[in-house]
Amino acid sequence: MRQFVNALYRPSIRQKRARTGMLFVVPCALVVLLMMIVPVVRTVSFAFSKVTLPSFDTEFTGLENFRKILAMEEFPAVIRNTFIWVAGSVILRVSLGFLAAMVMDGQGKGIKMARLLALLPWTVPSIVSANSWRWILQGDFGVLNMVLREMGLGSLAKLWLGTAATALPTVLVTYAWAGFPFVMMMILAGLQGISTEMYESSAIDGASKIQQFFYITLPSLKSVIKMVIALEIVSAINAFDLLYVLTGGGPGTSSEILGLLIYRLGFSRFDFAGASAASTLLIGTALVCFLFYAPTQFRKKREE
Amino acid sequence: MNRRKKITIFTVVRLAFIGIICTFSLFPVLWCLSTSLKTESEIYRLPPSWIPEIVTLKHYKEILGRSDMMHYFVNTVILSTGTTLITMVVSVLAAYGFSRYKFTGCRCLIWTILFARVLPRVSVIIPYYIILKEMKLLNTYQGLMLVYLTICLPVAVWMLKGYFDNLPVEVEEAAVVDGCSPFGVLVKIVIPMCKPILATVAMNAFILSWNEFLFALTMTDGKAMRPIAVGLAFFIDEMGVHWGELMAASMLMSVPAVIFFSLAQNQMVRGLSAGAVKG
Repeated sequence: MRQFVNALYRPSIRQKRARTGMLFVVPCALVVLLMMIVPVVRTVSFAFSKVTLPSFDTEFTGLENFRKILAMEEFPAVIRNTFIWVAGSVILRVSLGFLAAMVMDGQGKGIKMARLLALLPWTVPSIVSANSWRWILQGDFGVLNMVLREMGLGSLAKLWLGTAATALPTVLVTYAWAGFPFVMMMILAGLQGISTEMYESSAIDGASKIQQFFYITLPSLKSVIKMVIALEIVSAINAFDLLYVLTGGGPGTSSEILGLLIYRLGFSRFDFAGASAASTLLIGTALVCFLFYAPTQFRKKREE
Repeated sequence: MNRRKKITIFTVVRLAFIGIICTFSLFPVLWCLSTSLKTESEIYRLPPSWIPEIVTLKHYKEILGRSDMMHYFVNTVILSTGTTLITMVVSVLAAYGFSRYKFTGCRCLIWTILFARVLPRVSVIIPYYIILKEMKLLNTYQGLMLVYLTICLPVAVWMLKGYFDNLPVEVEEAAVVDGCSPFGVLVKIVIPMCKPILATVAMNAFILSWNEFLFALTMTDGKAMRPIAVGLAFFIDEMGVHWGELMAASMLMSVPAVIFFSLAQNQMVRGLSAGAVKG
């Protein structure tokens, strides 16, 4: 109502300003339209159609593609792996990042240095970390197996990435390595937002460090942790580089997750419809995470 | 007395954890560095030596002397620089527009940009491939830059908008009263005021495109347009098992990312975790 009255009152200035604003965002809007809205719409429409190559003509077929994907022999294994992967990486990254943030909170020079060092995995390009780990985990000359043999634990040495039972957990550890610093950073930032007065006054009231942790620190970090978990779920379903270089989904399908399946369907089998159906499942998951993540970004604006 | 003892134990445990975490963080990178400096025979020696006994730059020279590897590096520099420039122009305009003006569809667009940050990259490789194919941009710098833009732009817009929102508007209003155009205000007043954040955003965009792998893998074919990330992923398949050289090339690839990050570390952390501070 107020807007309406305002518009009647001085329509020209308002409209002019709106037009200037729109001009500023036109390039960005074009990119968003071409590279986000069109692709997502296309993926979803492909998911429900039969796609003819090479012209990419589509014909609506309902849920046929999803049925085909569900019927794939490896699909149950892929879904199981994806769940293990997402749950495992969120648990590992968040707990490790949380622990790191707790012990590295502070202002001293030494602690700042330690923080910087701990951030290193996050700054290294993913392909570089993949190659470094590939070398460490290599069967014959990898340092992990060499050290195990040196220590007389040669029986534990194995082809970490080439054994079905260890491939996925091993890549999970490397993935946690690459991502825990981000969680640490977010939680450290969250810790800075807690006012020191709360700690001081609770200390006067005789609260122990442990009590302070459970009654002040944890509750204050609740929304940060919620946001981090949402972001980590997204990044886990998005994971590709490390898995692709370290195992390529193998051996067999023992470390194949949905993302790798999409790539394989689309770029080695050229089953664009099937790959789009799998992509649609991923987009749906991302949308759910987004609904948890977005409010944390907008609440900040409202408070100001 | 008792309390002091408890604090000491607490400190020891804390230091131990810090030590373990930092070792875990550093080891793979240091091991990569160490291997890259070892002679061929020392690389495969048992027991492994942590620090190379004979330091050699042979592997680095080998990599720098390979025309294909150098070509990948040049590709990566072109792609990252181009993407960064486009990202800066588009994101500064957009962030300023979002921050200062209200118009129809504004909120909707902001939400879409925010969603771009959580949209899984693997789920759009098929449509991107098709779009680039239709625009005849597959296997070209322009095509790859367009795709990289989708990674760099959302973060850039979001970081800049947060910064612009907190700038005082009085100076800008005064300039408008003096007859400055909206675009002039942005170029003459706002941009000079926020050079540090612009540098941070640019470095962030540069690193993101420098490190990108999935899109480069799917949108390039053959070696001509291939950036270094893809080159390193295929190194062993295409050039044989040369761990020393692979590690040397990996160290070289890490250089810009690590330098830029250490330059802008504080601001980058602040920008990326902006949502966490008040949430």
